[in-house]
Amino acid sequence: MSAPSNAVIRVDGVSRWFGSVVAVSDVTFDVMPGITGLLGPNGAGKTTLLRMMTGLASTSTGTVTMFGEPVRDNPPLYRRIGVMSEHETVYGFMKGREFVTMMARLRGVASLEDAVDRAIGLVDLADAQHRSMETYSRGMRQRMRLAATLVHEPELLILDEPLNGADPRQRVHFKRLLLTLAEKGMTIVISSHILEEVEQLADTVLLIVNGKLAASGGFRAIRAALNQRPYHVRVVCDSPRKLAASIVALESVDAVRIDPDGALVVLSRNVVDLQVELPRLAQAGSISLRKVEPLDDSLESVFGYLVDN
Amino acid sequence: MRSVFLLTVRQLSGRWRLAIMAILAALPVIGTLNLLMDNDAVSVGEFESIVLSGMLSGSIIPLVVLAIAAAAFGNEVEDRTLANLTTSPLPRWRIALPKLLATLAIALPFIAVSAFVTAHAAFLSDTRATLAVTLGAAAAVAMYAALFVWLGLVSAQAIGIGLLYIVLWEGLFSNYVEGVRLLSIRAYAIALMHGMDERRFASVDHLNVWVAAGMALLVIGGSLFLSVRRLRAMDVP
Repeated sequence: MSAPSNAVIRVDGVSRWFGSVVAVSDVTFDVMPGITGLLGPNGAGKTTLLRMMTGLASTSTGTVTMFGEPVRDNPPLYRRIGVMSEHETVYGFMKGREFVTMMARLRGVASLEDAVDRAIGLVDLADAQHRSMETYSRGMRQRMRLAATLVHEPELLILDEPLNGADPRQRVHFKRLLLTLAEKGMTIVISSHILEEVEQLADTVLLIVNGKLAASGGFRAIRAALNQRPYHVRVVCDSPRKLAASIVALESVDAVRIDPDGALVVLSRNVVDLQVELPRLAQAGSISLRKVEPLDDSLESVFGYLVDN
Repeated sequence: MRSVFLLTVRQLSGRWRLAIMAILAALPVIGTLNLLMDNDAVSVGEFESIVLSGMLSGSIIPLVVLAIAAAAFGNEVEDRTLANLTTSPLPRWRIALPKLLATLAIALPFIAVSAFVTAHAAFLSDTRATLAVTLGAAAAVAMYAALFVWLGLVSAQAIGIGLLYIVLWEGLFSNYVEGVRLLSIRAYAIALMHGMDERRFASVDHLNVWVAAGMALLVIGGSLFLSVRRLRAMDVP
């Protein structure tokens, strides 16, 4: 595979195994400027892949290059990148500002105080900067860690599950900040196991399932593939046989069965159509709907579908 | 380097750790005072063998240093903060060296005071003897520190392995197996003490002082080199 000239990261035929367990298997992709989301269920191999991409772990086979240079055992490269791992451990004995200052010193930042002020301001933690990090909430720790990651103004930011532990308000702030940084020209790679999280941020998505690259590309294409997959929907109502007879006539429904507990299980290829038709049919038949729930809407089932197809 | 040094000093300065070190460092002093107050006083040779060789160089120094040095990297590996250092543009020796220096900054004062007071009391304020014992002990601290800092980087069981090394290698084999003395930090420390004051350990077979000095440098330099190499090659959690 030839790398496009503006690829920031190139992952080429990378595999990693631990004993007989294959964590990442023959993955190849390029990361271009903008925000790239690394999406996959827990245990899919995202963190292992990110650790290899950041030089923290070696590859069993394959190579990772960043800005055209090998990333492993290449400390000067860390002047250009900021890495925030998924582990939330901090130095509990340090105050937030001390931590960011130390990280700035380690990265050889010239105007130290200005850079620290700016980074802490970016994550909106100026009020808490003189408090011990031990007293921070999980979300605050993540934000202060992000400030430490940003303090040397890296060109490339790699974040492993950065929204873990953040409350809804912090999530909104975090996402807004990442979008602003991307607009200013920073390349960002962000991993997550939450589909919507990546959808709101990333221009490009890399789907990792069972250590393999299952799909990659724009979010719309991947979302379209998701919408075409068959869904199982469980419906609890007071007249399951009557509702089943109406539903089975719908074009969007492939099959209907009634479980021993009386619940209907509907297999549909057009869930949007089903969402519209189901209440209408219930109302027309004077049927009372008690519960409507997707049976296979977990991320794992989405990924499973994409891998199978 | 200053940032890594100060960070490590703070990490290693836990109250409990310092208290345990102070207690351990006091033991040779207490043992010496006990011997001096005993009416059936031991000979100088016996004192050197029991307190300086067995207790100070063979047990207290390695135990105190192990408690600190193994944690210099070990704690960072365990709580997964090592990535904060390894994702910095510092050459790896600028991470390993300040870790070693911070270990020395914490351990050395305890051991130096312990060795100084012990020798001062035992050798009746003989300056040369006191300095020889103190400097020999300081050299032992540096050697053990370099070795155990590396051990903390390569194994999660550094404390257990270190204890086995202290008991079996330094405590048992180096006493009873002739050739092991050439590879024993305790033997190097004793040879250095004898080299600086030939009246000390006069009745014991020991290494040539220059061989001991060379081996001491080899242990410190070699362990530091291995730590740097490990930092470059390891998977950082």
